[in-house]
Amino acid sequence: MSGSKSEGEADLTPMLDMVFQLITFFMLVTSFKAASLDLSLRLPVVGSARPVETQGEESLLVLNVNKDGQLIVYSLPQDIVPYLKAEAKMARREAKEKNPRFKDTDDLPTTVVVRADKDTPFGLLNLVIKTCQENGFRKFALKATDRAGS
Amino acid sequence: MSRRKKKHNDSGVELNLAAMLDMAFQLLAFFIMTFKPAPIEGQINLKLPPPKPVAGVKGGEQAGDDDKNKSAVEAINTLVISAFSTPGGRIQTLAIGEGNVAGVSALDGRLKAVLSDANSPFDQVIVQIGSKLRYEELMKIVDVCTKQTLPNGEKLTKLSFVELPADTQP
Repeated sequence: MSGSKSEGEADLTPMLDMVFQLITFFMLVTSFKAASLDLSLRLPVVGSARPVETQGEESLLVLNVNKDGQLIVYSLPQDIVPYLKAEAKMARREAKEKNPRFKDTDDLPTTVVVRADKDTPFGLLNLVIKTCQENGFRKFALKATDRAGS
Repeated sequence: MSRRKKKHNDSGVELNLAAMLDMAFQLLAFFIMTFKPAPIEGQINLKLPPPKPVAGVKGGEQAGDDDKNKSAVEAINTLVISAFSTPGGRIQTLAIGEGNVAGVSALDGRLKAVLSDANSPFDQVIVQIGSKLRYEELMKIVDVCTKQTLPNGEKLTKLSFVELPADTQP
Protein backbone atom coordinates (compact mmCIF):
# COMPACT_ATOMS: atom_id res chain seq x y z
CA MET A 1 0.00 0.00 0.00
CA SER A 2 2.68 2.50 1.04
CA GLY A 3 4.73 1.49 -2.01
CA SER A 4 1.97 2.43 -4.45
CA LYS A 5 1.55 5.82 -2.72
CA SER A 6 5.19 6.72 -3.19
CA GLU A 7 5.08 5.70 -6.88
CA GLY A 8 2.15 8.07 -7.50
CA GLU A 9 4.02 11.18 -6.32
CA ALA A 10 5.60 13.13 -9.17
CA ASP A 11 9.08 14.48 -8.67
CA LEU A 12 8.56 18.22 -8.92
CA THR A 13 12.23 19.20 -8.64
CA PRO A 14 13.03 19.37 -12.40
CA MET A 15 9.84 21.32 -13.06
CA LEU A 16 10.72 23.78 -10.31
CA ASP A 17 14.21 24.15 -11.75
CA MET A 18 12.80 24.93 -15.15
CA VAL A 19 10.29 27.43 -13.78
CA PHE A 20 13.02 29.23 -11.84
CA GLN A 21 15.10 29.43 -14.98
CA LEU A 22 12.18 30.97 -16.84
CA ILE A 23 11.61 33.45 -14.02
CA THR A 24 15.29 34.40 -14.10
CA PHE A 25 15.08 34.94 -17.85
CA PHE A 26 12.04 37.21 -17.62
CA MET A 27 13.50 39.14 -14.70
CA LEU A 28 16.64 39.84 -16.69
CA VAL A 29 14.94 40.88 -19.92
CA THR A 30 12.11 42.91 -18.39
CA SER A 31 12.80 46.58 -18.73
CA PHE A 32 10.43 49.02 -17.15
CA LYS A 33 11.85 51.71 -19.44
CA ALA A 34 9.35 50.55 -22.05
CA ALA A 35 6.51 51.61 -19.77
CA SER A 36 7.41 55.26 -20.37
CA LEU A 37 6.92 54.84 -24.12
CA ASP A 38 3.53 55.32 -25.69
CA LEU A 39 3.57 52.51 -28.23
CA SER A 40 0.43 53.73 -29.97
CA LEU A 41 2.39 56.61 -31.51
CA ARG A 42 3.50 56.18 -35.10
CA LEU A 43 7.01 57.55 -35.37
CA PRO A 44 8.32 59.05 -38.62
CA VAL A 45 10.71 57.04 -40.75
CA VAL A 46 14.14 58.61 -41.07
CA GLY A 47 16.94 56.63 -42.66
CA SER A 48 19.74 58.11 -40.59
CA ALA A 49 18.02 57.63 -37.22
CA ARG A 50 20.12 55.20 -35.24
CA PRO A 51 19.63 53.73 -31.79
CA VAL A 52 21.91 55.44 -29.29
CA GLU A 53 23.19 53.69 -26.19
CA THR A 54 23.55 56.04 -23.24
CA GLN A 55 24.69 53.19 -20.93
CA GLY A 56 22.44 54.64 -18.28
CA GLU A 57 24.80 57.53 -17.50
CA GLU A 58 22.75 60.25 -19.11
CA SER A 59 19.48 61.29 -17.58
CA LEU A 60 16.58 61.27 -20.00
CA LEU A 61 13.17 62.87 -19.97
CA VAL A 62 10.84 60.99 -22.33
CA LEU A 63 7.95 63.03 -23.73
CA ASN A 64 5.29 61.37 -25.86
CA VAL A 65 3.32 63.84 -27.96
CA ASN A 66 0.28 62.53 -29.80
CA LYS A 67 -1.11 64.00 -33.00
CA ASP A 68 -3.43 66.28 -31.03
CA GLY A 69 -0.43 67.80 -29.28
CA GLN A 70 -1.20 66.15 -25.94
CA LEU A 71 1.75 65.32 -23.72
CA ILE A 72 1.48 61.70 -22.58
CA VAL A 73 3.65 60.49 -19.72
CA TYR A 74 3.31 56.91 -18.47
CA SER A 75 0.00 56.64 -20.39
CA LEU A 76 -1.47 59.70 -18.68
CA PRO A 77 -2.04 63.08 -20.35
CA GLN A 78 -0.24 65.90 -18.56
CA ASP A 79 -0.46 69.68 -18.63
CA ILE A 80 2.61 70.77 -20.57
CA VAL A 81 3.75 73.82 -18.59
CA PRO A 82 3.41 72.60 -14.98
CA TYR A 83 4.77 69.14 -15.81
CA LEU A 84 7.88 70.45 -17.55
CA LYS A 85 8.45 73.05 -14.85
CA ALA A 86 8.41 70.31 -12.20
CA GLU A 87 10.71 68.08 -14.27
CA ALA A 88 13.14 70.97 -14.80
CA LYS A 89 13.19 71.65 -11.07
CA MET A 90 14.01 68.02 -10.37
CA ALA A 91 16.65 67.92 -13.09
CA ARG A 92 18.27 71.07 -11.68
CA ARG A 93 18.35 69.56 -8.19
CA GLU A 94 19.85 66.36 -9.56
CA ALA A 95 22.48 68.32 -11.50
CA LYS A 96 23.42 70.26 -8.36
CA GLU A 97 23.87 67.04 -6.42
CA LYS A 98 26.19 65.71 -9.12
CA ASN A 99 28.03 68.97 -9.65
CA PRO A 100 27.97 71.49 -6.77
CA ARG A 101 29.22 74.24 -9.11
CA PHE A 102 26.11 73.91 -11.29
CA LYS A 103 24.29 77.26 -11.43
CA ASP A 104 20.56 77.82 -11.83
CA THR A 105 21.19 79.64 -15.11
CA ASP A 106 23.23 76.78 -16.62
CA ASP A 107 21.73 74.57 -19.29
CA LEU A 108 20.27 71.38 -17.89
CA PRO A 109 22.27 68.24 -18.66
CA THR A 110 19.11 66.15 -19.11
CA THR A 111 18.30 65.07 -22.66
CA VAL A 112 14.67 65.54 -23.64
CA VAL A 113 13.57 62.58 -25.75
CA VAL A 114 10.72 63.69 -27.98
CA ARG A 115 8.53 60.87 -29.27
CA ALA A 116 5.93 62.55 -31.43
CA ASP A 117 3.40 61.03 -33.77
CA LYS A 118 4.36 61.54 -37.40
CA ASP A 119 1.13 63.50 -38.01
CA THR A 120 1.67 65.97 -35.15
CA PRO A 121 1.55 69.52 -36.54
CA PHE A 122 4.68 71.52 -35.84
CA GLY A 123 2.69 74.26 -34.09
CA LEU A 124 1.62 71.84 -31.36
CA LEU A 125 5.02 70.15 -31.09
CA ASN A 126 6.71 73.52 -30.89
CA LEU A 127 4.69 74.34 -27.76
CA VAL A 128 6.37 71.41 -26.02
CA ILE A 129 9.84 72.26 -27.35
CA LYS A 130 9.49 75.95 -26.46
CA THR A 131 8.34 75.13 -22.94
CA CYS A 132 11.34 72.83 -22.52
CA GLN A 133 13.67 75.59 -23.72
CA GLU A 134 12.10 78.13 -21.37
CA ASN A 135 12.82 75.76 -18.50
CA GLY A 136 16.48 75.33 -19.38
CA PHE A 137 16.51 72.14 -21.45
CA ARG A 138 18.82 72.39 -24.47
CA LYS A 139 19.69 68.79 -25.38
CA PHE A 140 17.02 67.06 -27.40
CA ALA A 141 16.70 63.70 -29.10
CA LEU A 142 14.00 63.44 -31.74
CA LYS A 143 12.83 59.85 -32.06
CA ALA A 144 12.20 58.12 -35.35
CA THR A 145 12.40 54.67 -36.80
CA ASP A 146 14.73 53.60 -39.56
CA ARG A 147 12.16 51.49 -41.37
CA ALA A 148 8.44 51.63 -41.96
CA GLY A 149 6.21 49.51 -39.77
CA SER A 150 8.68 49.03 -36.91
CA MET B 1 25.30 4.99 15.54
CA SER B 2 26.12 7.09 12.55
CA ARG B 3 24.33 4.68 10.22
CA ARG B 4 21.17 4.94 12.32
CA LYS B 5 21.31 8.76 12.23
CA LYS B 6 21.64 8.85 8.45
CA LYS B 7 18.64 6.63 7.99
CA HIS B 8 16.61 8.89 10.25
CA ASN B 9 17.54 12.01 8.17
CA ASP B 10 16.63 10.42 4.82
CA SER B 11 13.15 9.55 5.85
CA GLY B 12 12.46 12.71 7.92
CA VAL B 13 13.36 15.59 5.59
CA GLU B 14 10.98 15.74 2.69
CA LEU B 15 10.27 19.14 1.24
CA ASN B 16 6.85 19.75 -0.13
CA LEU B 17 7.73 21.38 -3.42
CA ALA B 18 4.15 21.90 -4.55
CA ALA B 19 3.74 25.16 -2.62
CA MET B 20 7.01 26.52 -3.93
CA LEU B 21 6.04 25.50 -7.44
CA ASP B 22 2.73 27.33 -7.07
CA MET B 23 4.52 30.49 -6.05
CA ALA B 24 7.07 30.12 -8.85
CA PHE B 25 4.27 29.74 -11.41
CA GLN B 26 2.62 32.87 -10.07
CA LEU B 27 5.86 34.79 -10.45
CA LEU B 28 6.32 33.38 -13.92
CA ALA B 29 2.77 34.38 -14.90
CA PHE B 30 3.42 37.92 -13.64
CA PHE B 31 6.60 38.30 -15.69
CA ILE B 32 5.02 36.81 -18.80
CA MET B 33 2.03 39.13 -18.57
CA THR B 34 4.05 42.27 -17.91
CA PHE B 35 6.70 41.46 -20.52
CA LYS B 36 6.68 44.11 -23.20
CA PRO B 37 9.86 44.26 -25.25
CA ALA B 38 10.99 47.84 -25.90
CA PRO B 39 10.86 48.70 -29.60
CA ILE B 40 14.13 49.53 -31.30
CA GLU B 41 13.99 53.21 -32.10
CA GLY B 42 16.49 55.57 -33.60
CA GLN B 43 16.99 59.19 -32.72
CA ILE B 44 18.55 62.38 -33.97
CA ASN B 45 20.40 64.30 -31.29
CA LEU B 46 20.19 68.07 -31.43
CA LYS B 47 21.14 71.12 -29.45
CA LEU B 48 18.14 73.36 -29.62
CA PRO B 49 18.88 76.79 -28.20
CA PRO B 50 15.96 79.21 -28.19
CA PRO B 51 15.95 81.21 -31.42
CA LYS B 52 17.79 84.54 -31.28
CA PRO B 53 17.32 87.55 -33.51
CA VAL B 54 18.98 87.00 -36.84
CA ALA B 55 21.80 89.38 -37.65
CA GLY B 56 22.63 90.34 -41.17
CA VAL B 57 25.66 88.34 -42.18
CA LYS B 58 28.21 90.18 -44.23
CA GLY B 59 30.40 88.11 -46.48
CA GLY B 60 33.64 87.08 -44.81
CA GLU B 61 33.05 89.10 -41.65
CA GLN B 62 33.99 87.30 -38.50
CA ALA B 63 32.34 87.73 -35.14
CA GLY B 64 33.89 90.59 -33.19
CA ASP B 65 35.60 92.17 -36.23
CA ASP B 66 33.50 95.27 -36.02
CA ASP B 67 34.79 97.21 -32.99
CA LYS B 68 31.91 99.67 -33.09
CA ASN B 69 29.35 96.95 -32.78
CA LYS B 70 29.15 95.71 -29.20
CA SER B 71 25.90 93.81 -29.67
CA ALA B 72 26.17 90.13 -29.00
CA VAL B 73 23.41 89.54 -31.54
CA GLU B 74 25.66 90.68 -34.35
CA ALA B 75 28.05 87.85 -33.59
CA ILE B 76 25.53 85.21 -34.56
CA ASN B 77 26.10 83.80 -38.00
CA THR B 78 22.84 82.17 -38.78
CA LEU B 79 21.57 80.43 -41.85
CA VAL B 80 17.81 80.61 -42.22
CA ILE B 81 15.86 77.79 -43.80
CA SER B 82 12.15 78.31 -44.37
CA ALA B 83 9.66 75.49 -44.80
CA PHE B 84 6.15 76.48 -45.78
CA SER B 85 3.44 73.89 -45.42
CA THR B 86 0.35 72.92 -47.37
CA PRO B 87 -2.95 72.83 -45.44
CA GLY B 88 -2.45 69.03 -45.28
CA GLY B 89 0.87 69.44 -43.47
CA ARG B 90 3.22 68.57 -46.32
CA ILE B 91 6.17 70.68 -47.47
CA GLN B 92 4.95 73.25 -49.97
CA THR B 93 8.07 75.35 -50.46
CA LEU B 94 11.58 75.23 -49.08
CA ALA B 95 13.92 78.19 -49.09
CA ILE B 96 17.42 78.98 -47.92
CA GLY B 97 17.57 82.66 -47.12
CA GLU B 98 15.66 84.31 -49.93
CA GLY B 99 16.20 81.61 -52.55
CA ASN B 100 13.77 78.76 -53.06
CA VAL B 101 14.95 75.17 -53.35
CA ALA B 102 13.11 72.45 -55.25
CA GLY B 103 12.82 69.89 -52.49
CA VAL B 104 14.55 68.11 -49.63
CA SER B 105 17.23 66.56 -51.83
CA ALA B 106 17.92 69.95 -53.43
CA LEU B 107 18.15 71.42 -49.93
CA ASP B 108 20.81 68.85 -49.12
CA GLY B 109 22.85 69.92 -52.15
CA ARG B 110 22.49 73.63 -51.42
CA LEU B 111 23.42 73.22 -47.76
CA LYS B 112 26.48 71.17 -48.72
CA ALA B 113 27.54 73.90 -51.14
CA VAL B 114 27.03 76.67 -48.57
CA LEU B 115 28.65 74.92 -45.63
CA SER B 116 31.56 73.30 -47.47
CA ASP B 117 32.99 76.74 -48.20
CA ALA B 118 35.89 77.29 -45.79
CA ASN B 119 34.89 80.97 -45.43
CA SER B 120 31.33 80.08 -44.61
CA PRO B 121 30.29 82.33 -41.71
CA PHE B 122 27.42 80.12 -40.61
CA ASP B 123 27.56 78.14 -37.42
CA GLN B 124 23.88 77.91 -36.62
CA VAL B 125 20.75 77.17 -38.56
CA ILE B 126 17.33 78.58 -37.85
CA VAL B 127 14.51 76.61 -39.40
CA GLN B 128 11.32 78.61 -39.90
CA ILE B 129 8.48 76.17 -40.14
CA GLY B 130 4.83 76.48 -41.03
CA SER B 131 2.65 75.66 -38.04
CA LYS B 132 0.76 72.95 -39.91
CA LEU B 133 3.83 71.08 -41.12
CA ARG B 134 3.70 67.50 -39.88
CA TYR B 135 6.46 66.07 -37.68
CA GLU B 136 7.29 63.52 -40.38
CA GLU B 137 8.03 66.29 -42.88
CA LEU B 138 9.98 68.28 -40.30
CA MET B 139 12.18 65.27 -39.62
CA LYS B 140 13.14 65.12 -43.30
CA ILE B 141 14.50 68.66 -43.01
CA VAL B 142 16.19 67.94 -39.68
CA ASP B 143 17.71 64.79 -41.18
CA VAL B 144 19.22 66.79 -44.05
CA CYS B 145 20.54 69.46 -41.67
CA THR B 146 22.17 67.00 -39.27
CA LYS B 147 23.97 65.30 -42.17
CA GLN B 148 25.88 68.52 -42.88
CA THR B 149 29.39 69.18 -41.67
CA LEU B 150 30.49 72.68 -40.70
CA PRO B 151 33.77 74.13 -42.06
CA ASN B 152 35.41 73.39 -38.69
CA GLY B 153 34.71 69.69 -39.17
CA GLU B 154 31.93 69.45 -36.61
CA LYS B 155 28.54 68.03 -37.44
CA LEU B 156 25.73 70.54 -37.60
CA THR B 157 23.61 69.76 -34.55
CA LYS B 158 22.77 73.27 -33.41
CA LEU B 159 19.37 74.16 -34.79
CA SER B 160 16.63 76.51 -33.71
CA PHE B 161 13.01 76.21 -34.68
CA VAL B 162 10.76 79.18 -35.32
CA GLU B 163 7.09 78.80 -36.04
CA LEU B 164 5.73 80.69 -39.02
CA PRO B 165 2.20 82.05 -38.59
CA ALA B 166 -0.46 79.83 -40.14
CA ASP B 167 -1.34 82.30 -42.90
CA THR B 168 2.25 82.93 -44.02
CA GLN B 169 2.70 82.32 -47.71
CA PRO B 170 5.97 81.81 -49.53
